[in-house]
Amino acid sequence: MSENMGLAPPRNPPIKLTRKKVRAGFKKRVIELSGQPVDACYQCGNCSSGCPLAQEMSILPNRIIRLVQLGQKDDIIHNDTIWICASCFQCTVRCPKGIDIQAVMDTLRQIALEEGVDHFGPDQIDPEHAAEVPQPGLVGVYRKLST
Amino acid sequence: MAKVAYYPGCALKERSSHLDRSARDATVKLGFELDELDTWTCCGAVPPVSKERIMNLIAPSRILKNVRDSGSDVLITICDFCYNTLKRTNYSIRTDEIIRKRINTFLADDTPEREYLEKDNSQWVDYKGEVKVIHLMEYLRDELGYKQITENLKRSLKGLKLAPYYGCVMLRPQNEIQLDDPENPSIIEDFISALDAQPVKYPYRTECCGSYLSISSPDASTRLCYRILNSAINKGADAIVVSCPLCFYNLDSRQKAIAEAYQDFKPIPIFYFTQLLSVALGVEYGRQGFEKHYVDVTPILDKIGTSSGKGDEE
Repeated sequence: MSENMGLAPPRNPPIKLTRKKVRAGFKKRVIELSGQPVDACYQCGNCSSGCPLAQEMSILPNRIIRLVQLGQKDDIIHNDTIWICASCFQCTVRCPKGIDIQAVMDTLRQIALEEGVDHFGPDQIDPEHAAEVPQPGLVGVYRKLST
Repeated sequence: MAKVAYYPGCALKERSSHLDRSARDATVKLGFELDELDTWTCCGAVPPVSKERIMNLIAPSRILKNVRDSGSDVLITICDFCYNTLKRTNYSIRTDEIIRKRINTFLADDTPEREYLEKDNSQWVDYKGEVKVIHLMEYLRDELGYKQITENLKRSLKGLKLAPYYGCVMLRPQNEIQLDDPENPSIIEDFISALDAQPVKYPYRTECCGSYLSISSPDASTRLCYRILNSAINKGADAIVVSCPLCFYNLDSRQKAIAEAYQDFKPIPIFYFTQLLSVALGVEYGRQGFEKHYVDVTPILDKIGTSSGKGDEE
């Protein structure tokens, strides 16, 4: 959890935008896979204020969408935020522009997994815990967080 | 007795077998039977991470197609994950022509390979989403009617303050699930009222309990569960009512970790809605699997009176 609960600090050093990076096709891929109009986002922040896990994230959901618009793939897929999302659809329900933000998060996970960034493997689970968690949790966690 | 096709799912067969058994007991008391599918597989628990991963839709599609082929047009599930996955898969098949074609092409090719299925020489018919996937609670509300429950009560839950907990996948995404209002639902509240108990409204009833994060980031889940439970306790709840095996696990077993992290926390019992239903309909306590609960439920059971004077039937 960040020290400043619920408020991710401004990025330091600031993002350097280059035409090459912005146009590298990352945004297009996200739109294609998720089917969501990420360009419609106007940064109202409703997703982040409703997100039950925003306090655990180092980049808030609305900022993730902004980074997608700007094609900042590396900043997103090497960050913990996409793995903290629990797919609860609170953001999706509340988005005034009708963006299924959860689908965007899922898509970002898939892109990260394609790039070989595995977040959670079978070796990381406590065997005692695994013996008692209901199966949907086990199946869900591996399908969402590992290849 | 009327039979309705029923998909239990993996959790209800083993780790949450008390949810399965209490549901079967309760429905028999209400005059219909949950008829488990002859052959079924895991539904995949969560829908695929993107539309590109169509393979992840095959298992739920096969289940749904088998239901249609067996002559049913309604399928009951209880586990919220199965409900969400099957219903959303069905929605994709109904609304997206490309997905429908690709899935059917695969299913047609794959069926003869399944040795546990009887050889079927009938003509192939594409699955177009004919089956209606419904949650048991939805069935009780819409098909049976909550009034039917109230009329059959054998034990009185009067005076019990029960807090409904919806969680996430039972209600959302609302355009595909359409069970109730995603922000201000009332289906479990009405169910509690039908049991003659008192529903407690509290702000965190639709907030996520952490779902599968309970495995990958247990501390985050602990904080979420604390917020939910504390909110219900502050509104005067005696116990919490859930329908999802994972919500149950998180809210119940995680209370150990919560008690360690937060000194002011007092444990609160968690019930599956089916357990309270079958208790209220007169099924004995011994069949409810209360020994599987981490938090002791006896203080609540002591409050459930034989005030109606009918007591145990069996």
